[in-house]
Amino acid sequence: MSKEQVLGKKPVAILEKIRENLERLNEKIEVMIELQKHDRKDVMEPLQDTPLDVMTLLSMPDHLRKTAMAVCRSGRATADEISQQTTRARAVESAYLNQLVLMGYLKKERKGRKAYFYAHRENEGEA
Amino acid sequence: MGKIIAVHSYKGGTGKTLLSVNLAATFAKLGKKVALFDLDFRAPSLFAILKIGSAENWVNDYLNNACNIDKVLIDISSRIPGKGNLFVGLANPATEAIRDMSAKDRKWEMRALGRLLHLRNALITDQKFDYIVFDTSPGLQYSSINAIVAADLVAVTTTGDRSDVDGTSRMLKELYNLFEKKTGIVLNKVLDYNSKNRRDELYDRVKNVYQVPLLGIVPCFCDILRAEGNFIFAQDKPDHPFSTLLAEMAKKIDANEVR
Repeated sequence: MSKEQVLGKKPVAILEKIRENLERLNEKIEVMIELQKHDRKDVMEPLQDTPLDVMTLLSMPDHLRKTAMAVCRSGRATADEISQQTTRARAVESAYLNQLVLMGYLKKERKGRKAYFYAHRENEGEA
Repeated sequence: MGKIIAVHSYKGGTGKTLLSVNLAATFAKLGKKVALFDLDFRAPSLFAILKIGSAENWVNDYLNNACNIDKVLIDISSRIPGKGNLFVGLANPATEAIRDMSAKDRKWEMRALGRLLHLRNALITDQKFDYIVFDTSPGLQYSSINAIVAADLVAVTTTGDRSDVDGTSRMLKELYNLFEKKTGIVLNKVLDYNSKNRRDELYDRVKNVYQVPLLGIVPCFCDILRAEGNFIFAQDKPDHPFSTLLAEMAKKIDANEVR
């Protein structure tokens, strides 16, 4: 961002942008910490569109299964909403959710400052 | 808040359908609003047990996202005494439908899980159903595990058969526990129920081998075999000991005594 661009914006908007970027950085660090903790360097490369079916849920490590099941139940949720279901810390859920995104089981969508996670389900609840 | 109960077993022929139908009818007799679903797509049987010749829409159609759940439910409340309501969703018994359901891929199964999970909103939250009962296929089948994941309580029917005892205890550890499901055991076709030693032996088995709450013990009733699937005991034979046992089980579930 150039000096002119910065001066042209309101300080609140700039602070909001910094906060948003910090949150994204934080999420990335959480994923890296979590991956290191579980020694899963192999899932660093994002996988594409892997179905989150019950057999996959069964084969997952316990900590990820809990998060994945909470997303299945909610359909679409933020890390905060998932942490309320699992009663684990938001930061922990954020790391697991991002790990599931990297593994290709979940998709992530940003709306403003909130990040929503959902399984690759189409037309759920319709018809 | 309503509850979803999946009736499951390791082996076939343990009495899942008998229990599902009669438990659903018992809840309805107690004044509850109940939906009973046939999720045994490999061997559909509710249409025959309930003597419903045909349905406009099947559970298969709902899972295929071809209709909403209201189109599937058939109201059979008039068959049940009292103010309760009983609805049923049937699995399509046509050979082609059975073949179609056994050839579904993982993506379809994932969507089917979403549709089953959606029933909580569609029926319990929006339409105030008190109970949803899933009659499932035995063992580790996609449709059964989907039902288990969507359920609040798994009622596991089991017999004294050695292979059944072994398989059931493995499923408890490797399936229901992994999904953190409340589970209750129904010991069915029990011989010598009147002997105290036998009953003690069974209580010990549930406590030591299965290590989950006991929902009920059902003796081997010749009347059930003789009925050849023609009666719903809870409805047609309300004074039969089997109906009394079902009422006890239903009250236990309703009082949240299975934890």
